[in-house]
Amino acid sequence: MSAHDHSHGHDAHGHGGLQMGHHHISSSAMFLNVLIALLILTGITVGASRVDFGPANMLIAMAIASVKASLVIAFFMHVKWDTAINKIVFLSSFLFLSLLFIFTLSDHATRRLDGELTVRHTNVQYQWTQPKADPNHGKH
Amino acid sequence: MSHDGHHSVVIPAPGPEFVPHTVAHHFDTPVQEFQSAKLGFWLFLATEILLFGGLFAAYFYYHEVYPETFRLGGQQLDWKLGAINTTVLLLSSWTMAMGVRSAQTSQKQKTLMFCGLTVVGALAFMVIKFFEYKAKHEHGFVVFSELFAPYDQATGSLAWFKDYDGVMAGVPHGHLFFAIYLTMTAIHGLHVIIGAGLILWIMVGAAKGRFHNGYFLPVDLVGLYWHLVDLIWIFLFPLLYLVP
Repeated sequence: MSAHDHSHGHDAHGHGGLQMGHHHISSSAMFLNVLIALLILTGITVGASRVDFGPANMLIAMAIASVKASLVIAFFMHVKWDTAINKIVFLSSFLFLSLLFIFTLSDHATRRLDGELTVRHTNVQYQWTQPKADPNHGKH
Repeated sequence: MSHDGHHSVVIPAPGPEFVPHTVAHHFDTPVQEFQSAKLGFWLFLATEILLFGGLFAAYFYYHEVYPETFRLGGQQLDWKLGAINTTVLLLSSWTMAMGVRSAQTSQKQKTLMFCGLTVVGALAFMVIKFFEYKAKHEHGFVVFSELFAPYDQATGSLAWFKDYDGVMAGVPHGHLFFAIYLTMTAIHGLHVIIGAGLILWIMVGAAKGRFHNGYFLPVDLVGLYWHLVDLIWIFLFPLLYLVP
């Protein structure tokens, strides 16, 4: 198998290193396209941060970053052409990461905060501490 | 095949400027060697995601609790330097990808050139980071000489956070943003330095002709590590420099 002609490894779907198994070798043009896309998305990130979308700014910034990350993972890190087990191992880390985020932030969202933190949650605290506002209270 | 465990498989060199690769004796085939190492490295990278993930969780939590602190803190950073460093890392990620490709296609000089450019990118990133840290130090946002001084319980003050100009005085816990900024960028910076060292090690091997279309495993793995460094920064840049 060492006699295999590797010259076609220069095209997008060539195979090199047959001795280590079949490997996808990406074309230089594809890498350049990914780089250009990443640079453009960086520009969009900066541009979007200059506009006030309110709370959506965070979502927009993270959405663009996720697209950039997907490009790096799929193409630069070759995950698109990697084995199923490697894909599962690496991508599952993001699944567990999302669990960490969901439980951490849902704790914050559902917690009755005390002390100085209540400054931002005055209305919430008012509802909690003023049950007497109910007009039917004590009428029966 | 060496099922008796006494004869190692040798991958021949594709040319006179390369050296053959001997498969480690505990592997039966080159494919097994490659896939084992690759799976192990992906597991390691998964732990890296979780390491930084904990810090990102801390960021999101405190950003939710003290949004004004984070917005004002982010404005104290130079977003232009952050954007330049983002570009530097993206370019270096591209040169690394090209370096791996060059090794896969037995292009020795190109492998050396692209890996060298990646190291230049790593150095440029750290030089810019140094000047950023220096400015933060001068403003008293992160006083490095006091970084490990004990917390003063009597005054409730942190020795490493002086905020000489009092710009963070109007928001609660101004130190929080800078604590998270320093922790995340310093651990990321450590990865940049380690990554640069690993790429230099790859260059030594490449100069000796160890990497070619028959064997490029170390180049591939170091490449993955370098892309992870870029991956983390893709999220750090908007979160720290352009605080949403």
